[in-house]
Amino acid sequence: MGRITRRTCVRTVIVCVLLPRFELTIASGDREELLRTPAALAPEPGGEARVGEASPAAEALGVRAGTPLGEALARCPSLTLVPPDPAGVADRWERLLVRLESIGAAVEPERPGLACFAARGLLRLHGGSLERVLTAARHALRQPSRFGAGPSRFCALAAASHARIRRPVVVAGGEAEAAAYLAGLPVGLLRGRHETASLPKSLERLGIATLGELAALPRAAVADRFGAQGLLAHELARGRDGTLAPRQPPECLAEEIELPEALSGVQLDRALQLLVDRLLARRERRGRTLRTVVLSAALVEGGTWRDRVPFREALADPQRMLLALAQRLALLPAPAERLRLAVERFGPLASDQRSLLDEAVAVRRSRLREAVQQARAAAGPDAALRVLAVELDSRVPERRAVLTPFE
Amino acid sequence: MSRFAGRSALRPAGRTHRLGQPRQARVDAGPLDGRPRTVDGRAIDAVRESWLVEDRWWSGSPIRRRYWEIVTTCGRNLVVFHDLRGGEWFVQR
Repeated sequence: MGRITRRTCVRTVIVCVLLPRFELTIASGDREELLRTPAALAPEPGGEARVGEASPAAEALGVRAGTPLGEALARCPSLTLVPPDPAGVADRWERLLVRLESIGAAVEPERPGLACFAARGLLRLHGGSLERVLTAARHALRQPSRFGAGPSRFCALAAASHARIRRPVVVAGGEAEAAAYLAGLPVGLLRGRHETASLPKSLERLGIATLGELAALPRAAVADRFGAQGLLAHELARGRDGTLAPRQPPECLAEEIELPEALSGVQLDRALQLLVDRLLARRERRGRTLRTVVLSAALVEGGTWRDRVPFREALADPQRMLLALAQRLALLPAPAERLRLAVERFGPLASDQRSLLDEAVAVRRSRLREAVQQARAAAGPDAALRVLAVELDSRVPERRAVLTPFE
Repeated sequence: MSRFAGRSALRPAGRTHRLGQPRQARVDAGPLDGRPRTVDGRAIDAVRESWLVEDRWWSGSPIRRRYWEIVTTCGRNLVVFHDLRGGEWFVQR
């Protein structure tokens, strides 16, 4: 009986770490005064013309992340647009995640500036209480951040949104307690989840101001009006949420090159070639192929550019890597003054195979014929087949080619 | 009828086999955009491309498929599609 009681008492506790306006803070660099004036992240080159994160002063004037650029400037003519720094944000965020992982947390990064981890497995590591876990995380981060804890991710996010630096908000209990805590909070909190980010505007227009009012609506009515998005919001408002999916900590292997003058075109391709060669020569690669790399650049006119390139198959061949990366480099929005290539994921070990072409053609054909005969003798006429192109241009893959008996 | 007679009736000599026949798969897709998140229990690392195929609409068996080219976290490059008529998912490469 005692054991059963103890098991029911062990509840999931999710900790949410929130660094508000993380991307804007990183892009502003040492110009901290920018954050005290109306400022927002400029749209990314080549992307939709919408501003990114906005400073408190800009938000007071109605400019929010995702506001169309024209509307933002009309609302706030003195708005300062800060060039985005996706490479800097990714670097800094990665460092913070590694610091969190250093206390033993299995972290799920939601977006730069927002991450969650389960506290249950860390309690014994850090003295047996949640407060100590939060203290350890705060010390590890070495950066002012807000902490919230609750039985679900969304509840923890809501708690973190209302927490202050050094004063975490903890919602104890289970689903019912989470729903009770969320009931009085505004539906605007749904903007914190990208799946439900567009809902608050419609909900507010319909007079649904709090999550409690949303949770009280019939599920069928919410599904009818808002579809899957609404159903998810309804679940979140009732204190339920999906399970955490922590990331696998990546290995850090990167090469960077300073360009003496802003380069573009063929010269930039050469710089890329150099980076690829250097990266492949690193001892830490230990003969492995590369599955996914990240190409980033610091632009002459300010800001950075970043592109993640997953290869079609894991590569260790510099020529093939260059073919794939040069196409992405052509998308660079402005001349670059620094170029960086980092490995995000490794593939299996590269292996050298003997080529069939080393054999004399006649010997090879004779061996092939013998092999076909033996295979057919053992497994029937379908043992050796050849590919016959039928409708190469067909948009339905299974119509393009068939297998027919070999010879 | 003997076992062998039955077998030879199923697999006649010289029969052609289509390449790239779709194989049914267990796919967990996002509720909003239909992007696959796991394929046969494997998490997805990246979606490389997506396209729609509508073909043979003039025939009695029209084809409507939403294709996704994906890379799984274990490094496999797969092409899966969602049959928009039957609602099932298939792997095609």
